[in-house]
Amino acid sequence: MKRITIILTCLLTTMAAMAQTGLNINRLFDGRYKKAAGATEIIVTGVQAREIGLTVYHSLSVTDKNQAELVEAMVVKDGAQAVDKEVEYRNGQLYYGFYTMKKGKRDNRYIFYLNQNLARKSPKNIVTLIYMEGFASQEEIKKLIRK
Amino acid sequence: MNDYQHINSQEELEQLIDRYFNGMTSVEEEDALRSCLARCPWSSQAIDEARMVMGYFATHSDRHRRQTAKSRRQLVAGIAASIAIILAVGGYALWHQQQPGDVCIAYVNGQVVQDNDKVMALVADDLSKMDNAANAMTDQLSSLGEALELDNE
Repeated sequence: MKRITIILTCLLTTMAAMAQTGLNINRLFDGRYKKAAGATEIIVTGVQAREIGLTVYHSLSVTDKNQAELVEAMVVKDGAQAVDKEVEYRNGQLYYGFYTMKKGKRDNRYIFYLNQNLARKSPKNIVTLIYMEGFASQEEIKKLIRK
Repeated sequence: MNDYQHINSQEELEQLIDRYFNGMTSVEEEDALRSCLARCPWSSQAIDEARMVMGYFATHSDRHRRQTAKSRRQLVAGIAASIAIILAVGGYALWHQQQPGDVCIAYVNGQVVQDNDKVMALVADDLSKMDNAANAMTDQLSSLGEALELDNE
């Protein structure tokens, strides 16, 4: 019984420690954009997320220039910790980024970033950040965005 | 140490059997006799008859020992299986508890959108934008590759 207690304690402690592994972009998902004009925040978890092969889908689109800079700064910080990345800079600014982050508690974690201001065809004043979590592999995520 | 070690020969054993059937043996001697009949290699008519008569006790004793060992093994296996089940159920409960609940919501310009279809349409729109950008990057890389190939020709 004592051994079982020790094993369970170790398991819970490990899981709690892993749950604290954070990303800088989490600071943007603190609810500040839920009531903001010019911002769109989407949160999908559970059944709907599983339908697209994920456990968590969380995105943010902002039109405010200052907010866009903040989003870019957070993404760049997290991008530095990515295990794999595909990025494109235009005029010294991050235009597109697809980052594969270090695995989370159980799932793979991905960050997408797009600054449509820098698009060559019909640029728009929108910066979009997407955080995805799930069992999906990098290739499966790419397939998902091609759907 | 064997219980029958002090029975040093077949003759001694046969004498002990004789004394046993005459009711002249002590409890210790009877134990030694049973033990010897169960394990010693000697054989004669008297010994075999004694084995037939008393063999039950020795065999019973062995069977009891085997059953005890078997019961002990079954008990240990049972405890191990119980621990495995507890850990599996506990692990599943923890995993299930940590699974995010069902949420499908969007906040657009401060307005809440809770219709699943509308939210998923917004998700599709987000993903489509990313796809376009990813394709643009791939196209750019292809063009770069083609240019390099042409340059090398």
